[in-house]
Amino acid sequence: MTPETTGANTPPANRSLWSRWSLSGSFRDIAPPALLLVLIAIVEIGSPGFATPETLAVVLSDTSVLFILATGVTFAILIGGIDLSIQAVASMASVVVAQLLPSIGLLAFPVAILCGLAAGTISGIVHVRLRVPSFVATLATGGVVAGLALLAAGGRAITIEEAGRIHTRWVNDSIAGVPIVVMIAVGVGLLCFLVLRYTRFGRYSLAVGAGEPAAWAAGINVDRTKIIAFAISGTLAALAGAILACRLSSGSPTLANQLLLPAIAAVIVGGTAITGGLGGVARTAVGALIISIVRIGMTFVGVNIFAEQMVFGAVLIAAVAITIDRSKIAVIK
Amino acid sequence: MLAARHISKAFVGVPALREVDIEVRPNEVVGLIGENGAGKSTLMRILAGTHQPDSGSLTLDGQPLRLKNANDAVHHGIGMVFQEQSLLLNLSVAENIYLGQEDEFTRFGIVNWRQMHEAARRQLAKVGIDVDVATRTSELTFAARQMVELAKALTLEETTRRQLVILLDEPTSVLARADIDVLFARVRALKSRASFVFVSHRLDEVLEISDRVYVMKDGAVVAEHEAKSVTAPELHRIMVGRGLQTEYYKEPRQKPPRPEVMVEASGLGVAGAFRNVDFRIHAGEVVGIAGVVGSGREEVTRCIAGFEPQTEGELTVAGAPARFATPGDAVKRSVGYVPRERRIEGLVMFLSIAVNITLANMASVMRGGAIDYGRERALAADWIRRLRIKAPGPDIACRKLSGGNQQKVVLARWMTAGSRILILDHPTRGLDVGAKEEVYELVRDLSEQGVAILLISDTLEETIGLSHRVLVMRDGEITARFDALPGKKPDQIDLLREMV
Repeated sequence: MTPETTGANTPPANRSLWSRWSLSGSFRDIAPPALLLVLIAIVEIGSPGFATPETLAVVLSDTSVLFILATGVTFAILIGGIDLSIQAVASMASVVVAQLLPSIGLLAFPVAILCGLAAGTISGIVHVRLRVPSFVATLATGGVVAGLALLAAGGRAITIEEAGRIHTRWVNDSIAGVPIVVMIAVGVGLLCFLVLRYTRFGRYSLAVGAGEPAAWAAGINVDRTKIIAFAISGTLAALAGAILACRLSSGSPTLANQLLLPAIAAVIVGGTAITGGLGGVARTAVGALIISIVRIGMTFVGVNIFAEQMVFGAVLIAAVAITIDRSKIAVIK
Repeated sequence: MLAARHISKAFVGVPALREVDIEVRPNEVVGLIGENGAGKSTLMRILAGTHQPDSGSLTLDGQPLRLKNANDAVHHGIGMVFQEQSLLLNLSVAENIYLGQEDEFTRFGIVNWRQMHEAARRQLAKVGIDVDVATRTSELTFAARQMVELAKALTLEETTRRQLVILLDEPTSVLARADIDVLFARVRALKSRASFVFVSHRLDEVLEISDRVYVMKDGAVVAEHEAKSVTAPELHRIMVGRGLQTEYYKEPRQKPPRPEVMVEASGLGVAGAFRNVDFRIHAGEVVGIAGVVGSGREEVTRCIAGFEPQTEGELTVAGAPARFATPGDAVKRSVGYVPRERRIEGLVMFLSIAVNITLANMASVMRGGAIDYGRERALAADWIRRLRIKAPGPDIACRKLSGGNQQKVVLARWMTAGSRILILDHPTRGLDVGAKEEVYELVRDLSEQGVAILLISDTLEETIGLSHRVLVMRDGEITARFDALPGKKPDQIDLLREMV
C-alpha cells in the first residue's frame, strides 16, 4: 500500500452549494433553535395567547418526559449506537411504580429506576461483550423487558389507587408556579450536560462516537464507555416511565409505546448526529421542544391523533437526510 | 498507443504526481519502478480511470482520452490488476471475474450461471490455474487470487477488439517464484494482443519482464531506460539517489543510547505471525525493523502496542513483565503508538487538536474532577507553538490539518501522556518531503529526551537513516541484525538480501 491509496478520504471536489451550507457546523448549530422560534411564532399567530406562562408551563410539563427519555438516548447515539429499548424500559418502570407504590411507597421509584439501570447495563454488555450491533442488542433487551412488564402486570394496565396516589402527588405538584416535573427534567438535563462536558466519560463518549479505532488506539476503555452510555440511557428511560406513571396515575406494559420515535426524532432534530460523536444534551432540549410544539400544533390544526407518528417519522427522515454528512460515510447500512 | 502528458495530481494539497510523461507502445511491457510514495500507484489509477488528474492529458492512439471512471477505461481496453486485491472474498471465482459484467449472461433478469461458469473457466485457462470457478474466493491462496485478478482483467480480450493495455500494480508482491514464472509466461504470451504496464519495486523482476523502464521519484519520472541497457544497481541508484542523505535523516544528531533497557523481547511470538523474536531497545535508541509484507514486523509492533497480546515468550517493558491485552494496557505502561492509518487510528478527525492531544492523558487537564478547558487549550496552544503545528488554533478539528501537522498532533499526544516508548508505524506515510524532514527532526528530539523508539517504515532508506540498529525479519523471524551508527550505515543491498 502506498500513501496515495488513502485518497479515498479526500472530499469530493464539487459539492453543491446547498449541501456545503447544510453540512457546515453553523447550520447544525443555528437551525434547530431558529426552527423552534419559528414554530412558536406560528402557533402564537394561529392561536394568540399561547406564549403565556400558564400555557408554557403546560407545554414544558408535557415535554419533560419526552426530554428525559431523549436525553438518555442521546448518550447511546453519541457513542455511535442506538437504544431501541427505551420505550419498553419506560413502560416497565411504570408498571413497577404502579405495582409497588401501595406496598412500599416512595421506595418504588428507586426500585423502578434501578430496573432501568439494570436493563441498560445488560444491553450495553450484550452489545460490547457479545459484539452484537446495538440496535439488535437493545431491540432484543427491549423485547425481554416488555415481556417481563406484561407478566408483572398480568397483561393489563394497573391504575394507581388512592393508597398509592398520595406518593405521586409530589410529582404533579408545582413550586412557585413551576411544575416539579419540569424541575426534574431541568435537573436531569443540567446534570447530563455537565457530565458530557466536564467528565472523562463525556469526553471519551465523543471520541468513541467520532472515531472508535482512534479512541481505542489512544488507550481509552471503549467497552466501559459504551456500557455506561447504555446504562444511562436505561436509567433515564426508567425515570421517564416512573414520572409518566405518576402523571397518568397508571402503569401499563404499553404505556410509553408511542414515545420511541418522538424521542429519537427529538435527539436528531436537535442537531445530534445519528452517526455519533457530535451533539449533546442542550441540542436534545431544543429538539424535544420542537417535537412538543409540532405535536401541539398538530392538535391545533386538527391533525388526526393517529397521524402523529406519521409526522414524527417524516420529521426524523428529513432531519437525518438534511444533517448527515454523506461525504464522510462511504457506505450507509 | 497510450500516452500520458504533463499529468499532475495532488491529494489534500500534497503533490503526488508532478508533470508526469509516459508512453506505452504496442506489444510492449513497460516497467514502472520507484519507492513507496513515488507516485506509481497514483499514476496507475489515473491510467485506469479511478482517479482523475488535476492537470495534463491522456491520449489513446493519438486521440485525446478522458476517463471518468474505471468503466470508461475498460471500454477503451484498459484493464487494471490491483495491488490490494480487489476481489470480493464472499463471492465465487466466476462471480468475481464477471462482477459488473453479468449482462452478458442475463436473459430476462435471470443470470445463466452455467454459461458464466463456462466463460470463467476459459478465462482461468488463460492464466493457467486450475481451480473450480464455483469456489468461494476466500478459500484460494493469495497467489491463486492474484491469478484470478489477472484473469478478470483479461476478460477485456472478449469485450473489446482493440489492442489492450493491462496495468499490473505490484502483482508479484504476494507470489512465490514459481507463480511469478507462470505470470511472466502469460504476460509474454499475451504480448501479441496487449501492452502491459508492470509496477514493482523488485528491480530484477522488472528488468526480466520489461522492454522499457521508467523510474519515478517524489512524484516525477526521473529516468527512462531500455531494459537491455541498464542494470538493477544502476536503477536502484537512480530510484533512491538523494544527495545529502546524512543531512536528510539528521544523522549528526544521532547520539549513543542510554544504558537503561526500556523494551526487552525474548522468544516473543504471536501464533501465526512471528516467533522467537529477541531484541532490546534502550532509552534514547531507535530500533528499526526491515522486512517485506508478511515478514511479521507489523505484528511485532502491534503486539508491543497492545493490539495483539503475545502467545509465547516474554516481553519486558520499563523493567517489568508485560502482556498487553488492549492498547489501554500499553498506554498505562507508557507505550505510545503512532499508527500508519493516521486518519483512522491516529486521530479522532472530527474532534479538535486540543481534545486529541489530551485524549491519552486526561489527568493532565482535570481540576477538581472536571475538565479544565482553559488549561487544555493552553496546553494545546503550547504544543502548536513548540512543534510548529500549522493551525489557526487549538479548537480546529484535526481533519482540517495537513498530514504532517496531523502527525505532529499524534506525537504531541504521546508526549503529553509522558510515553517513554514510542512505536512509529510508517510515521512519514503520505507526507511530503518537508513534512517528513520535520518528523525526522522530532524523532531525534525524542531520542535526546530518552524515549525508546521502535520504527517500521515504507522505505529501507528511512529505516536505516533513522535507526541505531536495524533488525531484518523474514517469514516471522529475525534473520539479521545491523548496527547503523552515524557515518557507518549499512548498505540497503545487504538488508535486502536478508529480507527476501
